[in-house]
Amino acid sequence: MIRIVTLSEFPPDVIDFVTRRLHAAYGMGCELEGEGEIPADALDDEQSAYDAVKVVDEMDDDVTLYADDKIVYLTNEPLTAPPGPMGRGPVDGYAQYGGGKALVTAHGLPDKGLPLEVGLAKRAAHYVGHLWDLHHCFDPRCAMHPGWSPGFATYPEVALCLFDREKSERKIKLGSS
Amino acid sequence: MATKTHEPVIGDGSLHIGDRVVYPNQGICRITGVETKQIAGQNWEVVTLSREEDGATVMVPKGKVMGIGLRKVADVAAIERVFDELAIPNTDPQLDWKVRHRENADRMSGGGLFGTVEVLKGLHALSRVRPLPQKERELYDNARHLLVGEIAAAMNIPLHVAEDNLDYALWPPPGMTRKGRPLPPATLGPPSPTRPAAEDEDLGLEDEELGGTEEAVAPAANVTVVEEEQPAPPAAHKAAADKEKSKSPHRPPKPALAKKARPAAAKKAAPAKKAAARKSAPAAKKAIPKKPAGKAKAKGKR
Repeated sequence: MIRIVTLSEFPPDVIDFVTRRLHAAYGMGCELEGEGEIPADALDDEQSAYDAVKVVDEMDDDVTLYADDKIVYLTNEPLTAPPGPMGRGPVDGYAQYGGGKALVTAHGLPDKGLPLEVGLAKRAAHYVGHLWDLHHCFDPRCAMHPGWSPGFATYPEVALCLFDREKSERKIKLGSS
Repeated sequence: MATKTHEPVIGDGSLHIGDRVVYPNQGICRITGVETKQIAGQNWEVVTLSREEDGATVMVPKGKVMGIGLRKVADVAAIERVFDELAIPNTDPQLDWKVRHRENADRMSGGGLFGTVEVLKGLHALSRVRPLPQKERELYDNARHLLVGEIAAAMNIPLHVAEDNLDYALWPPPGMTRKGRPLPPATLGPPSPTRPAAEDEDLGLEDEELGGTEEAVAPAANVTVVEEEQPAPPAAHKAAADKEKSKSPHRPPKPALAKKARPAAAKKAAPAKKAAARKSAPAAKKAIPKKPAGKAKAKGKR
């Protein structure tokens, strides 16, 4: 089951669209679990964006996760991540690889030229994929394609490529067993 | 007098119990100890490793530790060199599948960091020209998995941050730089054709074996051009997505051009189907007289 927790206000039809798309992409149940608050101390040093890793690690919620449960936090706030060898780049979410929690932001979606619900659903599908150990995909149609590449807006459908779909199905079967 | 405990020598002496090491094709492991195991009536000294990803135990005969390519996790300087290498665009992928397969297999079994980088970079460059066949897609994913794990372990950063950084070099977002040098922003690559799973089980190399490499490239390029020329306007996206609801949403819609993507295979398949139909027709005719014979036998037995 994929459980969604909103950390900002979203119209109900947007959440409805996101849950439907996630259900369709992974063949798992998906429901809105409730609302939460983003930890205030997760702001980065410049106080301009939230550190995505800190937000997920410090999130205090009482959602119970079972074997194959995944939890996705949705927010509108800008996010950042610890600098890596390439410095800082665009960050639209964070996921614990092979873990249970992911964070997705709708920040910056209007610039992509996609409707809010489509962009958010595509990002959510991307980060849920990371929770199932999926890596980035070179196919621009696939939801696992990096969000900053031109393929994100060119192909608005929220779908996985054949390889990633099969891999996620295998992982989901193992998880549920 | 206290007795000095001797730590067993592992490999060439550079590895110790508790070290994080890279096992070729398996990923990051931690050396947990040296044990003596009785295998086929012989005592073998084995080095036990615990794979960090899932906790699986790997046992390697002590004498073969260096031979299999077990090595320490790369240091930060080596990872920086990896990113220098990744940031140089590769515009000349190996198109000969035999050479590519041999080179990639050697690099992966060698277990070297830069070998894995070359596999990933080469297949990434090829994926910009045309979609990868199934086996190479798996190899691409495997190389990516190993590299992300090693970058995260070496730099002590989360796996997600490591993969994002890897792709900041492979698919640079606008404005990305490496050591002050601006990187060319990523362009749109060819989408993979959506085909049923059954067709993907082969290597997808028939086209190349028949010398159809250039032909195989062309359809993929055509698909890209068509998609690029006719991008759906943002306003139409919602309508298109709503329309999708009524269709099966799990499987991505089959593009109209999917048939054009494999002309050689389609041409081959058509005569093969005809031949199969011809073969099956007489077989069906023969099968009819067999029935009474079977019945007669059965009667005879009774």
